Amino acid sequence: MNSAVTSIKLVLLGEAAVGKSSIVLRFVSNDFSENKEPTIGAAFLTQRVNINDNTVKFEIWDTAGQERFASLAPMYYRNAQAALIVYDVTKPQSFIKARHWIKELHEQANKDMIIALVGNKVDVLENNEDERKVAREEGEKLAEEEGLLFFETSAKTGLNVTETFVAIGEKIPLKTAGDQETDSNGVAISDEQRIDLANSGNAAGQTAGCSC
Amino acid sequence: MLSPERRPSMAERRPSIFAHALTPLVVPHLAGIEDPLPATTPEKVDVLIAGSGMVESVLAAALAWQGSTVLHIDKNDYYGDTAATLTVDQIKRWVNEINDGKIPYYENAKLYVSTEIGNGKYNSRDFGIDISPKILFTKSDLLSILVKSRVHQYLEFQSLSNFHTYENDSFEKLTNTKQEIFVDQKLPLMTKRNLMKFIKFVLNWEEQPEIWKPFAEKSIAEFLIEKFKLERAQVFELIFSIGLCYNIETKVPEALQRIRRYLTSFDVYGPFPVLYSKYGGPGELSQGFCRSAAVGGATYKLNETLVSYNATTKEAVFADGSKVSVMEKVIMSPTQVNQNSKNVPEQPYQIHRLTCIVEKDCKEWFSEGESAAMVVFPPGSLKSGNKQVVQAFILGAGSECCPSGTSIWYMSTTEQGVRAEMDLDAALEAMELSILRESSTDLENDNDIVQFGMNGQTVVNSVRLGQSFKEYVPREKVHFLCKLYYTQYTSTPPFGVVDPSLFEKNVVSDKFIPGASDNGVLYTSMPSAEISYDEVVTAAKVLYEKIVGSDDDFFDVDFEDDDDTQAGPADNSNYENAIDDEDEDDDMGMGKNESTEFVGEMEI
Ligand SMILES: Nc1nc2c(ncn2[C@@H]2O[C@H](COP(=O)(O)OP(=O)(O)OP(=O)(O)O)[C@@H](O)[C@H]2O)c(=O)[nH]1
Ligand SMILES: [Mg+2]
Repeated sequence: MNSAVTSIKLVLLGEAAVGKSSIVLRFVSNDFSENKEPTIGAAFLTQRVNINDNTVKFEIWDTAGQERFASLAPMYYRNAQAALIVYDVTKPQSFIKARHWIKELHEQANKDMIIALVGNKVDVLENNEDERKVAREEGEKLAEEEGLLFFETSAKTGLNVTETFVAIGEKIPLKTAGDQETDSNGVAISDEQRIDLANSGNAAGQTAGCSC
Repeated sequence: MLSPERRPSMAERRPSIFAHALTPLVVPHLAGIEDPLPATTPEKVDVLIAGSGMVESVLAAALAWQGSTVLHIDKNDYYGDTAATLTVDQIKRWVNEINDGKIPYYENAKLYVSTEIGNGKYNSRDFGIDISPKILFTKSDLLSILVKSRVHQYLEFQSLSNFHTYENDSFEKLTNTKQEIFVDQKLPLMTKRNLMKFIKFVLNWEEQPEIWKPFAEKSIAEFLIEKFKLERAQVFELIFSIGLCYNIETKVPEALQRIRRYLTSFDVYGPFPVLYSKYGGPGELSQGFCRSAAVGGATYKLNETLVSYNATTKEAVFADGSKVSVMEKVIMSPTQVNQNSKNVPEQPYQIHRLTCIVEKDCKEWFSEGESAAMVVFPPGSLKSGNKQVVQAFILGAGSECCPSGTSIWYMSTTEQGVRAEMDLDAALEAMELSILRESSTDLENDNDIVQFGMNGQTVVNSVRLGQSFKEYVPREKVHFLCKLYYTQYTSTPPFGVVDPSLFEKNVVSDKFIPGASDNGVLYTSMPSAEISYDEVVTAAKVLYEKIVGSDDDFFDVDFEDDDDTQAGPADNSNYENAIDDEDEDDDMGMGKNESTEFVGEMEI
């Protein structure tokens, strides 16, 4: 059985340094970095996962710092079918910021967006529960009130990272082979209508022509 | 060639990053910084850019990837500035600000909005209205940069293949392809041959000076008629629809370049010459470039106004009292100035625009599966006796710029002064009549104008579109949801926009004017009337060179990571590549399918 790939645009939100990029790095390349390189790079990463015989391709958008001065572009939210709102369980301020992002998403984004609230850095608590500044119950309660998925994760150990993405994937209507294209009201990204600028007919023809 | 004054590149300035760039990475660096960044602007940057229009955004991304630290601000609370895509509510605000004199270089804004938007069946946010709409030729410098920078991944592009010319009260669909030219029953054989001869010439016109040099100072119309014996209808199509020229006086070399632009773009991605981006045009593209710049390390701050810059102390001061030291240059859009800005280049040219949202899907004008069309009104084709062309860019709901059942009509003219609005009104009237006639159900059963396609489906054919509607009296009226008139000023004349010298002279002011808040500031150009994006890269490169010293590494980015899509684009900057060996195949296009080359389709 050959099922179609469903593309899901997922955006990351959360206070600076809560571990947004680290969660993506863990999910995409099962890696973690303690070092302090500045955030540069593509900020648009893809990862495929198989969920119940279907393939889901996540297109993951990182904020690239534009949120710092409330300057996220409408393009960022547009057609996003999923969002991760991340806070740091050791930083209460970041939980307050998470509430702000939930509100922002309700205003700006698509109504059927699947949102996961993620309390990151739980590995820090392993040796020292005192570091916890946001109770698990607080996170759960907020998620329940707002209808969000909820996970406590560690990008460092990998705890619950893949689980978060899989849970999102499971909630999104999947495209099966032969599905009609849907209007872009939040369902699947319709790759068929897009003209991919990186693949012009001519360019492909010219490079493929030489088999030597 | 590296010029001696060239600033060190990213590699030279950030050795640690360079070291990483050498080892191919599976994923780019994603590790962040230990401490949250303070929510204040940096103390020191290389370049400060005010205004987030197309040129500024492309420049910001180019500089960020080159390794400059960039602070990019806009006094508005939205991205795009002169290139913005706005909702209806934002348009209302924008119009008020223009009329309050708060947005320089725009004037005479008049707006009608139906109560159905906001209180009725439509929301303000259902619409994305471009204040300077653009189309993208598939062979163009901007397209290569979109691919190279990967900004195209943030965007969705759709094709536009229908170019209509308005003549004798009717819309004539452009005969686009060689096949169409050959099957076109209305074209006499001789005309077909002459047309083909010209098309063959124009693809390599620069190498054949003996043909065009004697006409170099003459108008393109004279050249086409005298040298290629073309008929008026073909001449008009070539000059105004294919070339998108603004008047009949357009000089030969410039017109040839513009005609070739269309022809070489045809069939790069499919049987169409241009693309447009979904959800909005330059407003989306500028957001994409800003995002790219941010990923490359630029800092973004909307709602921030630059109050003054002191070239001696290098201090820039903002309206909120914050300050930043700018080591290299301050770049500013003319719209972002304040009352003490005294060095803004003159903006002598007017562009008049009329933008309408109509409650009609206008699919009659679109090619099957598409949602956009261009309609060109050549000089003298309108009731108003227009001397300049009126260009209309039509977007349907498939563009996601407007809800289904509606469309946006963008009309513009380079006519100056009061005549301009008369021309726009005349064009609007012609379009109204045309769409009413073409969408009218009265005509449904008329066999003459309905054609059957290969699989028996009905196709709206060009004969139908081409019929005169002189006699036609519509029973209904086009319902307008929104109507917006405005005038924009620019320093860029509406021709030759790929010539860097046009932008050079605008940019720098060597003068030191006492009391000015902008001595030493480099200004960007306001968008010209050009409907394509063709001026953007040229203008951005002129500025880039002024800052960095050379444009050698303009978007010289090499992403090591990657993802499944990078097949490597064609080198879009090289026209010659796409149009060589034209003499091989002389058999009227037989075997055209064997060649993936564009010329396979076009030559005789
Ligand atoms: N102990 C621990 N540290 C983490 C975890 N996730 C991230 N970090 C560290 O937290 C710091 C910030 O992580 P980033 O992933 O850069 O955070 P961010 O949210 O992307 O930050 P910005 O891009 O600045 O908004 C880095 O030093 C990471 O190594 C985690 O799960 N546990
Ligand atoms: Mg990050």
